[in-house]
Amino acid sequence: MAEKTRKRGKEENQNSNNRSTHTDLYGPIPKTTEAVKEKLGEIFSQCSDFIQREILCGKNGKTRMLLAYFNGFVDKMILNQDVISPILDFFSNNETDEVSPVYMRLKDCIVVNSEIKEVDDMGQAVDGIISGEALLFIDGEEKALVIGVKAPQGRHVDEPDTETSIRGSREGFVENLLINIILIRKRIKNPNLKMEMMTLGKQTKTDICICYIKGIANEEIVDEVRRRLKKINTDAILDTGIIEQYITDNRLSLFPLVGNSEKCDKLAGKLLEGRVAIICDGTPYILTVPYLFIESIQTTDDYYDNAFFATFMRIIRLLALMISNLLPGMYVALVCFHHTVIPFKLMITLAASRQGIPFSPFVEAILMIIAFEFLREAGVRMPRPIGQALSIVGAIVLGEASVSAGVSSNLMVIIVAITATCSFMVPPLIRATMLLRFVFLAAANFMGFFGIALVAVVVLTHLCSLRSFGIPYMAPFSPLTSSDLKDSLIVVPIWAMVTRPRMLRQENTGGFKNSKRMEVKTSRDSRKS
Amino acid sequence: MILGKVKKGIFAVQILLLLMFPLLLTGCWNNRDLVDINIATGIGLDRTEEGKLLLTIQIVEPAAIQSTASGKGKGGGAQPEPVFTQCFEGETVFEAVRGMLSIVDKKVFFSAAQVLILGERLLQDGIEEVLDFFQRDHEMDYQMRILAAKDVTPREILEIKNDIDPIPAVYIKETVDNTVARGTVKKTMLIDLIKDIEDRGKQPAIGQISKEGEEKVRTEGTAVIKDGKLAGWLDPYETRGYLFAIGELRSAIVSVPADKGKVAMEIMKAKGKTKVEFENNQPSMLSIKVSVEANVGGYEGTGRLDSPDNLYMLEEKLKEEIKKEIIMALEKTQKEYSSDIFGFGTYVRKFHPQYWKNAEKEWDSIFSNLPAQIQVDAKIERTGIIINPVASGD
Repeated sequence: MAEKTRKRGKEENQNSNNRSTHTDLYGPIPKTTEAVKEKLGEIFSQCSDFIQREILCGKNGKTRMLLAYFNGFVDKMILNQDVISPILDFFSNNETDEVSPVYMRLKDCIVVNSEIKEVDDMGQAVDGIISGEALLFIDGEEKALVIGVKAPQGRHVDEPDTETSIRGSREGFVENLLINIILIRKRIKNPNLKMEMMTLGKQTKTDICICYIKGIANEEIVDEVRRRLKKINTDAILDTGIIEQYITDNRLSLFPLVGNSEKCDKLAGKLLEGRVAIICDGTPYILTVPYLFIESIQTTDDYYDNAFFATFMRIIRLLALMISNLLPGMYVALVCFHHTVIPFKLMITLAASRQGIPFSPFVEAILMIIAFEFLREAGVRMPRPIGQALSIVGAIVLGEASVSAGVSSNLMVIIVAITATCSFMVPPLIRATMLLRFVFLAAANFMGFFGIALVAVVVLTHLCSLRSFGIPYMAPFSPLTSSDLKDSLIVVPIWAMVTRPRMLRQENTGGFKNSKRMEVKTSRDSRKS
Repeated sequence: MILGKVKKGIFAVQILLLLMFPLLLTGCWNNRDLVDINIATGIGLDRTEEGKLLLTIQIVEPAAIQSTASGKGKGGGAQPEPVFTQCFEGETVFEAVRGMLSIVDKKVFFSAAQVLILGERLLQDGIEEVLDFFQRDHEMDYQMRILAAKDVTPREILEIKNDIDPIPAVYIKETVDNTVARGTVKKTMLIDLIKDIEDRGKQPAIGQISKEGEEKVRTEGTAVIKDGKLAGWLDPYETRGYLFAIGELRSAIVSVPADKGKVAMEIMKAKGKTKVEFENNQPSMLSIKVSVEANVGGYEGTGRLDSPDNLYMLEEKLKEEIKKEIIMALEKTQKEYSSDIFGFGTYVRKFHPQYWKNAEKEWDSIFSNLPAQIQVDAKIERTGIIINPVASGD
């Protein structure tokens, strides 16, 4: 581990430009197409999907060209239309023996493609090929043309599965970076919407795009995002989830400090609030930073709906969050310690439902919650068609059967059910809640309400100490930012929401400097250890 | 860097220690499952003939309650009883409470107790010393109702079984609360009793309970205590007069004779104030001021109510009736029991502390010999949906 980090520190400098390493590896482009063909064949040996097509044209096939691309990665129709047939047409009509003009002409007037680029070393050429472009080498030239004929990949724009809403757009992001960018541009038609591209991952060479609105987003946050992204030194970026783990402020916290979304309108809203988005090719989940606690109980529906209803829903969500954390613990504390605070009739009901249960309330709660987690995880992992069988089993395990078998009290079944339902109401915090629930439960079994209060203090302190890209996680509650309270637990109608979140705009205030200091420290730490 | 880390670590340890300190402050932190306790619903205290303390506890069987409530298994074989009552003799209350564990299987839990019934023999012997345990123990519910059993032992009351409520103690408590709404029993909670005992200017009074047939109880009347011992009883009407005077009456039905019949007046609001008039630094007169608002609840007769005069007359009669009840209560406590349950002494202590210092010891006898001035204000607010009685003669 220590070795790895040291290595990472060393390589940091080279890492800023991944392409330059290839230049050293592959050298310049050979002059003859023969040599190019041989070299490419060597680089892409055992790649059966790699295709090199030689074009012989001019008088007696004097002018030789080599087209290199990955099969299926490029759109063959476009390749034929834009490249091959114009070249063949040209040379069948015009007889030219001089080579140099051919090259200029090819670039400027023969190849009909909007995306054409000139490269002069092998490394860049190889990069072009592996990212789905066609490379055109001309005999006698030490240059090559990169022609953008990438075939559209992946699925269509679809409704996101993970974030459903009652109102609003049903468009969700897809795996294709360019389509995702278009989906955002479609919503924010503004030249200030900036898209900064970069490549991450030594093996995967994944395209990453930093997206923000210049003039709205805090420049310091954008700088910080660039800096943290550049520092990432890893082989593979397969999903934004990996980026998230590298750029988060507190890598050991249970709470998410980087947001993600699949919904186009949600992301547009975040950008307009001044957040920075990180788009990664190959995943529909787009990251947004900074991510604050309050965002986990915000939904797009809140802004499209009546403000009173939205306020009510925010409160309900916060309540659900607390219930899903505390309810099992509270129950155990009540039943095991604080009999005196239970109203008499409820006490009779509680005592009656617990009669004859062989486990202590704590063990019973743990068993039932774990049983529920089994079912939940099985529901996520199993193939869809088996779903029905699982739901039947689930109803039996967490239902009447376990009660009549005498292993669980019916009240515990209700509690686990309510806890589970509530935890699904605040999806971004499901993971944190799931683990904290056990901590609260254990504390309750050990010390009753006092234990719960103790853990709650620790958790709240931790929450208040967290920062996401310099912004306090619990803003606008801690520190109290009265102007931002309009979109917290209370949602004011959209026509009254006239200012952008002040917390995100703040420049040169203490908050951000602190985070910078922290950041410098962590990077130094990692090098040292 | 390393120093900083160590400092941080020390800080974290300090915070943890600080958080642990409150642990020492809490009284009870033993983990005890709800099924591992016996929930007591009613407590009875009495003396045996030998002068030992007799503790009776009614313990509830939650599972049996549920099955009777849902109607399951009715008529099925051996149905467990929803409650059982257990007695234990001991020198002190606490000894008896702990001694009970040699008979029942689980620790007795008192916080859910609804009623505490004091036996007549105990009342005559003195209640102050046995109540110490109930104040000292952390599990006691200060809101449990205290009742004095007349002509019956607490045990007999707690062993009552009827179909009104599966838990007799709950039945008793609900009955008391009902009667409080009628104004014929004093609602005494543990906290009230303790307060009254500590207050030297006021003697405690406890609601009365007796048996009505084999299966029911009747909660009416009041036990008058003097210096911790039973002095005597007030009947329901005297109790009502007493409650009017001290301003604890919530509502009541007072029957007033009217021309050609009887009117039942429903007292909606009642205020009462007691005071002691002083002359030359000596108490000269007890003063009771009561003001009530009433509705006409029923007119069983043939009079009329459609003119203000009729109502004025009715008001006068209501005043008289209330006054009569107050006088009855006051005279009985003054002459017969010589016990200041009205709290005139508290007034004297507050407003004439110098005099009180000397008179505290013999206040009860001073109280017994003071004349009284009783002033009642009555106002009739509404007559219900109709004005004249149905059978009003023209």
